[in-house]
Amino acid sequence: MSRNSGIDRRQMLKLAGLSAAGLGLTAAGCGSGGGSGSGGTVTIRHSWWGADDRAKKIQQCITLFEKKHPKIKVKTDFQQYGDFWKKFNTQAAGGNPPDVIQNAVTFLRKYEAKNVLLDLGPQAEKGNLDLTGFRAGLEKFAEVDGKLLGVPVGSNSMALVIDEKVYEKAGVAPEIGWTWDDWYAGLQKIRSSQNIPGDAGPHGVMYLYDLILRQNGKAFFTEDGMGFGEAELLPYWTEALERVKKGLYADQKKVEQIKPAFATTHGLSAGEFTWDNFSVRYSAEGRSSYGLAPIPSTDGKRTGQYLGSLMLSGSARTKHPAEVATFISFMTHDLEVARIMGYDRGVPATTAQFEAYQPADAPNKAIAAYETAIADAGLLEPITPHPAGADVVEAAFLRIGADLSLGKASPEDSVKQFLSEAKTALASN
Amino acid sequence: MTHIQTSPGVSPPAGDRSVNKRNGPTGQAPPAGTTRPGRRENLAGYLFMSPWIAGFLFLIAGPMVFSLYLSFTEYNLFDAPRWIGLRNFTDMFADPRWRQSVKVTSWYVLIGTPVKLAAALAVAMLLAQKRWGQSFYRAAFYAPSLIGASVSAAIVWRALFSDGAVVDRTQKLFGVETGGWIGDPEMIIYALIALTVWQFGAPMVIFLAGLKQVPRELYEAAEVDGAGPWRRFFHITLPMISPVLFFNVLLETIHSFQIFGSAYILSNATCGPADATLVYTCYLYEQGFVNSRMGFASAMGWLLLVAVGLVTAVLFWSQKRWVHYEEGGR
Repeated sequence: MSRNSGIDRRQMLKLAGLSAAGLGLTAAGCGSGGGSGSGGTVTIRHSWWGADDRAKKIQQCITLFEKKHPKIKVKTDFQQYGDFWKKFNTQAAGGNPPDVIQNAVTFLRKYEAKNVLLDLGPQAEKGNLDLTGFRAGLEKFAEVDGKLLGVPVGSNSMALVIDEKVYEKAGVAPEIGWTWDDWYAGLQKIRSSQNIPGDAGPHGVMYLYDLILRQNGKAFFTEDGMGFGEAELLPYWTEALERVKKGLYADQKKVEQIKPAFATTHGLSAGEFTWDNFSVRYSAEGRSSYGLAPIPSTDGKRTGQYLGSLMLSGSARTKHPAEVATFISFMTHDLEVARIMGYDRGVPATTAQFEAYQPADAPNKAIAAYETAIADAGLLEPITPHPAGADVVEAAFLRIGADLSLGKASPEDSVKQFLSEAKTALASN
Repeated sequence: MTHIQTSPGVSPPAGDRSVNKRNGPTGQAPPAGTTRPGRRENLAGYLFMSPWIAGFLFLIAGPMVFSLYLSFTEYNLFDAPRWIGLRNFTDMFADPRWRQSVKVTSWYVLIGTPVKLAAALAVAMLLAQKRWGQSFYRAAFYAPSLIGASVSAAIVWRALFSDGAVVDRTQKLFGVETGGWIGDPEMIIYALIALTVWQFGAPMVIFLAGLKQVPRELYEAAEVDGAGPWRRFFHITLPMISPVLFFNVLLETIHSFQIFGSAYILSNATCGPADATLVYTCYLYEQGFVNSRMGFASAMGWLLLVAVGLVTAVLFWSQKRWVHYEEGGR
């Protein structure tokens, strides 16, 4: 062994080669994924929010899709709602978003402003995406400034999920046309006869407050800002705090602890306002029987309701827009998909899918009956727009509503705090 | 000096030179790197280090510099960063939630760190004595630190402190009704502190090593002079282990400032209820990843760095007064 030279030139070259190969491998590892595989097969990534149950159903649909479209492979990924958007934001900002995502109306303008979503219009023109057969104009649901940013997979509407046994025992029978006064009288009846709070505390639910505002000729959002101010929110939250103290709304400490479970399924309240398709989860989680009651109104007529919707959107960055459109089209039209998914993401958006799935179980039957009833009663209206930043506003509304009802802030301070946070969110998104 | 032979034919680095270099001015040969083979040796060294250097530049130094730049901008992840000077910093002080996060973190550091260290020292002193099954106890007490930072531990903790769970029911036996700590804005911070204290294993092991170094003769002499256990603790044990104590205080304080995971999980990703567990990093994360205010989040990160730096400086300054090093041991 030579004492003079540590490593000779040949060895040095070898080493350099190895290092470079190592770095190259790492780089290759980062770069793969989503690209074309061998034999003309294309891989697209689809991610959504939801629980294990939805994951199983979606996986089944994808197996079916891959069988019918052998040249397209679909890789999947899912998180809970909150985590989903954190991950998506990071991926999108890093230039590596999934090709197809589950999406909601709250995010449309936000991502439209940032050019994140694929305009599916051209794909529909090319015939890769079928836009026929959607219920009640739902195919236009995600149209923003002439661009088609998503296709609905299911529609749902706000409802009051109730513990039927408690309501029955208290002798409260909600029906279409009931007013907020009727509802409030019901809460008092439930408290006095059943000794439990009638509601989980609706004051943090943005979508419900939107309905209340719409019943009074306003709305939560305008095209580019807030549709209400202190004059509207202060009385609403002042009243809410009083009702928590009176025990008409659930003990908020307990509601906090059981999250993300529902207050109603834990017997902390006799009901709560939420999306109608959530009622399936109530039956799975709780021991009582749960039903859907209509939204009360101010005048006994207008509830302000509209169809909300989950949709599938493509990424503007995708290298495979045609395959993305094919997949979305399959998920919205295939009859077998309808039978697998049921009402998991709301009532199917296309008439054919809606008819292909006939629910056999009580919770899903109730959803079908509820959606039919509100449509027949002529309650449905067009949705009000959600400006960019609406998602952050919604989170702030929920959080500050909870702080208020925990007694950590006065209604005045809470309203001030919310409006200031909303302003920041709408300005910076 | 021994060399590890990597493969046949690869000669070891010129050992004598590196020894000489380390020995400083007493070495005979010129420092490595000035001669041709020396330079080659350096080059080999850098080549071996290159993955680390690349990692440092691209994964640590680069992002840090970029984040310093971002802290003076408004950046929502999607649009290009917009320079706004010091506005993020002024906004921060005007933001009540930011002030709340400073309050919660300070509270957590001030209460959690001393209690954790006290627990670590107390158990270390118990385990320092020769007892049957000593190694089992040491392992058992250390175990929570291994799993302590994990998500699962925080989830279990959440279950323990919920309404109607073990802690709640035990309290009720003593006539204390709080209805669980997790949903209570006043109490949840103590559940968080308890979780931290429970993870005292790492400082405990260090204390244990320190305690082993205290000469027995000191205690024997003190006992002969009639010093009781408290006197022996305050006048022998504490001064003798003060360097170890200083090390632990420093490390745990820095660590406490950065708490995130347990607060995030314990509060079910809300940092609540009513912002009661809104620790600094939790708010930073929310601003960055939920509200897409990366500039603001970066500014918060840099302010935290400065604050931790200041606290560290104060601790170093204070050590002159209470840390005793043996002569020549400094």
